[in-house]
Amino acid sequence: MTESLERRGKLIFAAVFVGAIAVLAVLFHAVTGGRFLTASTLTIIAKNSVYPTFIAWGLCFLFACGYTDMSIGGVVVLGSFASCVFGNWWGYAGVILGGLAVGLLLIFINFNIFAFSRIPSWIAGISLAMVYEAIAVFLKVSDSTKPLVMVSLREEYRGLGQLPWSLVILAVGLVAVYFVYNLTTIGINIRAIGGNSAVAQKMGINLTRTLLKVGLIAGTLIGLASALQESYAGMTTVKTGLTSMSMLFYPLAIYLLAQILRDQINIIIAVPICSAIVYAVFNVLALLGVPSGTLQEAILGLFLIVFGVVGQHGNRGVVK
Amino acid sequence: MKKLKLQDVVPFAAFIVIFVFFTIASGGKMLSAYNLRILLDQSMITIVVGLGVLFVAAQGSIDLSVGVNVAFSGVLATHISLRLSAPWLLIPAALAISAAVGLVIGVIVSKLKVSSFMTTIAMLIGIRGVVNYIQTKIGVEYLDVSLKILNEPYVKIPLFIAVTAVMAYLFEFTKLGRYSRAIGENETTARSVGVPVEKMKIAVFLLSGLLAGVGAIFTLISVGGSTNTMGNFLEMKVAMAIFLGGVLVTGGASARIYKVLLGAFSITIIVNGLALIGKSESQISETVEGILLLLILYAATAAARRDRRRSVKQAVASETSATEST
Amino acid sequence: MSTNLLEIRGLNKRFGPTHANVDIDFTLKRGEIRGLIGENGSGKSTLISIIAGLYPRDSGAITLGGAEYSPRSPLDANAHKVSMVMQELGVVGTLPAGVNVFLGHTRQFTEAGVINLNALNKAATKVFERWGLPKVPLNRLTDGMMIEMRKIIELARALSVEPDVLLLDEITQSLSMNNRELLYELLTRLKDMGKSVVVVTHDVDELIRITDTITVLRDGRVVGSVESAATSADEIKLMMVGRRIEGDYYRSDLAPDYSDEVALRVDGLTVDGEITNVSFELHRGEILAFCGLSDSGIHSVGKAVYGLSKRLRGTVKLNSSELRSATDALRRNVAYVPKDRDNEALMIRDDILSNFVLPSLDTLKGALGYLAPQRLRALALKMTAKLSVKCTDINQVMDSLSGGNKQKVNLGRWLAKSPELLILDCPTRGVDVGVKAYIYSLMLEAKRSGAAILLISDELTEALGMADRLVVMKGGKITRVIRRDEDFTEQSVIAVMV
Repeated sequence: MTESLERRGKLIFAAVFVGAIAVLAVLFHAVTGGRFLTASTLTIIAKNSVYPTFIAWGLCFLFACGYTDMSIGGVVVLGSFASCVFGNWWGYAGVILGGLAVGLLLIFINFNIFAFSRIPSWIAGISLAMVYEAIAVFLKVSDSTKPLVMVSLREEYRGLGQLPWSLVILAVGLVAVYFVYNLTTIGINIRAIGGNSAVAQKMGINLTRTLLKVGLIAGTLIGLASALQESYAGMTTVKTGLTSMSMLFYPLAIYLLAQILRDQINIIIAVPICSAIVYAVFNVLALLGVPSGTLQEAILGLFLIVFGVVGQHGNRGVVK
Repeated sequence: MKKLKLQDVVPFAAFIVIFVFFTIASGGKMLSAYNLRILLDQSMITIVVGLGVLFVAAQGSIDLSVGVNVAFSGVLATHISLRLSAPWLLIPAALAISAAVGLVIGVIVSKLKVSSFMTTIAMLIGIRGVVNYIQTKIGVEYLDVSLKILNEPYVKIPLFIAVTAVMAYLFEFTKLGRYSRAIGENETTARSVGVPVEKMKIAVFLLSGLLAGVGAIFTLISVGGSTNTMGNFLEMKVAMAIFLGGVLVTGGASARIYKVLLGAFSITIIVNGLALIGKSESQISETVEGILLLLILYAATAAARRDRRRSVKQAVASETSATEST
Repeated sequence: MSTNLLEIRGLNKRFGPTHANVDIDFTLKRGEIRGLIGENGSGKSTLISIIAGLYPRDSGAITLGGAEYSPRSPLDANAHKVSMVMQELGVVGTLPAGVNVFLGHTRQFTEAGVINLNALNKAATKVFERWGLPKVPLNRLTDGMMIEMRKIIELARALSVEPDVLLLDEITQSLSMNNRELLYELLTRLKDMGKSVVVVTHDVDELIRITDTITVLRDGRVVGSVESAATSADEIKLMMVGRRIEGDYYRSDLAPDYSDEVALRVDGLTVDGEITNVSFELHRGEILAFCGLSDSGIHSVGKAVYGLSKRLRGTVKLNSSELRSATDALRRNVAYVPKDRDNEALMIRDDILSNFVLPSLDTLKGALGYLAPQRLRALALKMTAKLSVKCTDINQVMDSLSGGNKQKVNLGRWLAKSPELLILDCPTRGVDVGVKAYIYSLMLEAKRSGAAILLISDELTEALGMADRLVVMKGGKITRVIRRDEDFTEQSVIAVMV
């Protein structure tokens, strides 16, 4: 009885959800004077939303550990550098391996620092972000590295950031991440720790070992995100004064929105959907003439607070 | 005799090491009267804004919106005072606007129970967008010359001392400070005693906003006008000052006024000292600050854990001696 | 093969100063359903938690099926075919129900780090079918599920290891009537299969009905074991209370003695899921004690009166005007000492001084809200001396004090204000006899000076020893109010409490 009710509830939700998205799309199309449901706009949205999706997936694993890593932006900048340098040397293999290597290494270092220093991760992450930003500046100004990193990734190796390959990568990523999150021991263990670490530890799950393994998973995702970012944009701007943190804001909004839907949709599936929604909204805003970098940021901030409030609803615990 | 806590010694030791290192490395240039003036001048804004954030940090929360609040209230207040040709209106306008931002944050954090980190980061993104937008419309604006007097040392320094004194009084000698530390120590305890926790949370974010307004005024009078880069990075500088000074991230009894000053001077000396020895590039100071912050935070949290273990041991000892004597 | 499956000899367990299990001997036969009963803090949960591998024992021997048995963890206990449904721990909300059933045992469905969810869910379905448990949506996260459903998932988890010994800690109270019947049938089946079960519950009648034998614990010791078929509820209740060595530190008068003036009037107080329609009056100079078992709601009464929980209905009036919130109560000179001293009452990492002055800041402040350091110090020094708190300095961190001295600070900081109404929730919990006696003398002193005292107690002897009137609660409702000069005995209280 419960089983079939359950299934019916899911179907109804799916219908409503798809319907709502369709209505929203038509509405967007109408308010933009017919400029939303066009090939060019949809292409832009599809291309835009891929690399933040990978970061948001990374956040799913990070938040399950209770970590808020503010240095991810800094890691992505360095990862993109590596992607560019090795990509220009070795082609596609270099694009992927370069980003991957840096992402894995740095995020793994971060996890070790979080786990062993016991400094709250957000503040440790800010310190690390400063260091990573500084390294990027060193690479940019040093005479020996400048010619390597301050160039664009060669046009012929940018395919991963363009259609249709970016969507193929997204699909492959979705299957792989869904698999890891839902069907592997490490995925189950980290969700158990995130949900109730007391029960998890009583049930024989090793906290530190699980955390470090998750560091490798998150590192892989952030590394891939770097490679995709470089492939999409072709080059990377160096960020200083902690502005690299701003690279986390869109993924954060995506994650928070997906978090709200998690009772209905598996969060790993919800992330790319929410990513498309968030980027669609900001694309519409751009089409409507809302200037980017200014009022769009203001709306993003508002989104974060609203998603935060809705996601927090019903929580009675102590919140700092 | 009052026993010194290890967690309070670490930041002092760090400060002394930094100070001695740069004094020697700069060949004494650091201590020239001219440079000391610069040190004070560069620390002032961090301290003023930090004094407000300290209340928030004492409760175990954090306010990362103060930098952008400086810009927001500074830009708007300058514009208002110029439009109405009432130069002195700048001060009440800046304070009112910044306090209003603080109030909104306080309500979101206390009533809607979103974490302060998340809320103030969202504010940082959102309001920075608004400030940039306003700037594209009105451009850089200059303060009326009549306000120049505020930047004279004989006005500015007493003003700074007065603000510091008032905040020190509020923090160390009133209910607001004591209740805030109690909330940081244990919010459940504070609640079950009857501390109006929600009201206190709103109050400290309001105060933190208000002090950001004071910071905006100090910034405006020393720069002479408003730009959209006002307050950039300030929230991080302030947070670093507070934590480098030895306030634990959990707040509570570890929060003290002197630590804001200690931490702010530590940071200023690092930046200033690096410049004196010819390493003024931002990437060097950013690396040094980042690594020092990590090290000092690590030392302080480890020290706090050690202090705690020691006192628990003492309790167990007195427990066993009590059972033995009965 | 001996018929004894589990044998425990001379088991001891201490938690800090609390001696939770004292020289326990306990034998469980194959195919036996054993009940375990005792008042709060009698050590029954500790005992089965040790058997289940949650805590190590301090001393004593345990054998299982004749072999030495020292489980290092619940998983290790599972490997020895011992499993438990815990009173509190529960399930992991961020994982689906099916995975929760095999949490810690997912390896059997795993190949190269990959879990075969299909096989896992099939196996889970099998567990549910095999034991006749009600169906649960296996793919859903347990976060949004009802407590009853989550308990059933836990039960499935315990049964999935095919236990020889199944330990159930307070499971029936979260089950509805029809699922209780299911559980009873399950117990019979386990018995027929030669498996053994230990059931912990507060419900005496249920216990007699479903068990073969019942062991009664009191103050961490085994009082005795009886055949369920040959005993009565009254006999069990008497064993639970028994004769205790009474200290001479309680009050000696035998009649209630308080003013007619009502200090606190509570009318129809209801807190969702905790207490229902609680009404009472508390007079000046009266000690009114609340007694009841762990789910009776006595602790919620204290919280609700002080304004710490959301009142669904009802009024709480101090001197005939409504107490609106905890802040209002603090201002109007009401004191509240919560049960959980270290987590709810004190700031244990802060110093003695800060803890002492916290409730008194309003009275200590001068013009401009000035809290003069010397006034704060004076208050802390005065109370430290008055209560003879053993410390080197009032700047000493709370954490470094012994339990008794912590409690002196906890209570003393309120007494410094000479409060009109004192709400004391288990004020003598975890302190030694000397401090206990001292706290009673402080209570009597406050009573004499006209304070109204609401004493919430897990210890019946304490309530009987101190109260003018005693309120007994069960299932969130008041079942009886007894005056000191009436039927003021443990038996009469137990009769309406259990």
